[in-house]
Amino acid sequence: MAQAGGFSFDLCKRNEFLEARGMKGPGFTKTGTTIAGVIFKDGVVLGADTRSTAGTTVADKNCEKIHYIAPNIYCCGAGTAADTENVTGMVASQLELHRYATGTQSRVITAMTLLKSHLFRYQGHVSAALVLGGVDFRGPHLFTVYPHGSTDSLPFCTMGSGSLNAMAVFEAGYKDDMSKEEAMELVARAIRSGVMNDLGSGSNVDLCIISKEGVEYKRNHEYLQGKTYERQFPQRFAAGSVPVVRERVYDIRKAVTVVEGEPMEMES
Amino acid sequence: MEPGGMAQHDFLSQPVSMGTTIMAASYDGGVVMGADSRTSTGTYIANRATDKITPLTDSIYICRSGSAADTQNLSRYVQWFLEQHGMELGDEPEVKTAAKLAQMMAYQNKNFLQAGLIVAGWDKHEGGSVYAIPLGGTLVKTPFTIGGSGSAYIYGLCDKLWRPNMTEEECRAFVVKAVSHAMARDGSSGGCIRTVTISKDGVKRTFTPGDQVPVAAGELPPPQRAVPAQV
Amino acid sequence: MSGIGTGYDLSTGTFSPDGRVFQTDYAQKAVDNSGTVVGIRCKDGVVLGAEKLIISKMLEQHSNRRTFPADRHAGMAVAGVAADGRSVVSRAMAEANQYKSIYGEAIPGHVLAERLGSFMHLFNLYGGYRPYGVSALLATYGKEGPQLYLVEPSGVTYRYFGTAVGKGRQGAKNEIEKLKLGEMSCREGIQAVAKILHQVHDEEKGFEMELAWVCEESGRHFQRVPQQLADEAEAAAKAALEAEDMDD
Repeated sequence: MAQAGGFSFDLCKRNEFLEARGMKGPGFTKTGTTIAGVIFKDGVVLGADTRSTAGTTVADKNCEKIHYIAPNIYCCGAGTAADTENVTGMVASQLELHRYATGTQSRVITAMTLLKSHLFRYQGHVSAALVLGGVDFRGPHLFTVYPHGSTDSLPFCTMGSGSLNAMAVFEAGYKDDMSKEEAMELVARAIRSGVMNDLGSGSNVDLCIISKEGVEYKRNHEYLQGKTYERQFPQRFAAGSVPVVRERVYDIRKAVTVVEGEPMEMES
Repeated sequence: MEPGGMAQHDFLSQPVSMGTTIMAASYDGGVVMGADSRTSTGTYIANRATDKITPLTDSIYICRSGSAADTQNLSRYVQWFLEQHGMELGDEPEVKTAAKLAQMMAYQNKNFLQAGLIVAGWDKHEGGSVYAIPLGGTLVKTPFTIGGSGSAYIYGLCDKLWRPNMTEEECRAFVVKAVSHAMARDGSSGGCIRTVTISKDGVKRTFTPGDQVPVAAGELPPPQRAVPAQV
Repeated sequence: MSGIGTGYDLSTGTFSPDGRVFQTDYAQKAVDNSGTVVGIRCKDGVVLGAEKLIISKMLEQHSNRRTFPADRHAGMAVAGVAADGRSVVSRAMAEANQYKSIYGEAIPGHVLAERLGSFMHLFNLYGGYRPYGVSALLATYGKEGPQLYLVEPSGVTYRYFGTAVGKGRQGAKNEIEKLKLGEMSCREGIQAVAKILHQVHDEEKGFEMELAWVCEESGRHFQRVPQQLADEAEAAAKAALEAEDMDD
């Protein structure tokens, strides 16, 4: 029977059968991750490690996990990389249209509601675990959003496989109304704790500081694991690296004749 | 799940659930609702200061237990329905209506939800009232009710202590005592105690920090804080 | 194209140049030529009364109803095209039922009136439809007390102390204005309504009167006034009218 359209799930049955017989299906790229955020005196600091894994292999040693949502809102993502990137991208796009329609700054709670509605609709199948932070006219806001669509609002929060390590640092070191520098140091320390002690997290520390004054996106704020080898670009070869096998010279005037022409009339 | 990544921390893939103690009790002139503040994913406490008592209208609240995602989103739907209804009515919705709407959502989607709810509040027709909406989606009007995993430990206590025509203060003391006993015995309940009191005079909230929760038999007193908590 | 409508009355989808929808006006005319229907709000309830012209001597009593219950606490009296009236009543019953099943309480009068208004208004919007040739008097007794509403073919709704629609509406309204509705019980109300319907009835043919109420005496249920009470009220009304005639 020819199908009129839509998805075909025929192969699901086959895969189910094969998996029951011991076949291991391909996995997704997941960001075994440490992400975290705190509210400080006049804003929010978000932090993330930069390791992306596929199975036990490190897929990307310096990926970006702090996603743009709006000029005043950013979001750290853990879970399936494709899901975190697409879900944050969708919400960023919806909020941009909303800003054009209303002419007002986006609110963090709006971003949070859009995220949770989407994630709840997909009943946990969109595996995005997020730390959403931003500053709007009501002040700084920080939320965690779980893949099933629940949210928490807290002054400090962590997510991902390294969340326990990071939370331990927060529980020990968090204070109300910290300065920007104190908050940055605390978040960096929390992420570092994940990088050092959690297998799923690693490489460097990204920070993003959002306050009423603006956003500081500190990519590789702490460059913990420098590259062991770096590709040279552009690649330069020493003269004489390539041997000359044959040389041939053409006289182009023998092959081509140049005819003088009139310039075309152009309408003004 | 990824080995070496989140495999050891399977809480991340588990739904966030509120192994909870929630309750609501009516007194002369209103209702008191109470809840602990623990939200867990598996064995990890995802939030130790959760607010499980969510407003549906200015004078109707809902206590949530079960899946955090399900109950948060269900509450949002009920909030939206009540806002629409209030506009058509040109008046504040009744507690009965809020409970009916929550019950309908819970019942019609019972196969997809994990939600134990208590709707309570005050309206000018009935005064204070309490409705229980347990897992299957039935609707029961009762003078008081308890819910969540912690409630199993305090049925006897509540049957003994609740009586009609309490004062507001007596009722709130009853709720705090009952929730603190559930928190003492139930591993999935704990943290702080929140109460919401609703009467014709409006809504009052109280917050009892973890180190000021009454100590049950056999428990050590809490350690002294360097700086006393602001209550 | 000439004549009164000049083409602008062929469809509810067309405005006339001076801003009228003629089909809506014509629907109102269908009501204005109907038997008189009266409604008054007394201190303890609402009374509805309808004048049913007897079109044939062979007609059975109580046939061709004009008053209908819509819910336990709400009912209607319709003037105009009787068949349209039943359709509107059936919608009212559906609305009342649906409201109760969703919100767990009886539909308040103003909500039912507005929903019926919205329903009837829909038929004034599209070319393929005609408006209902019906004005409906709606009597309710809920939490907000006894209330009387009027829903017109255009979809407009009003709330009244007392009003009348149909052929004798002008005379009836004049009489209603003389009543002290705030001090009147529904027992007195049915007699007043009976008297008004007899006063404004000016045809050679006889008429049957239909009375319905929702009041304390009926347990806040909408019902037709018990036959014995209705007969007594009618007899008293006739006697009062005869006494007035003697005075003149």
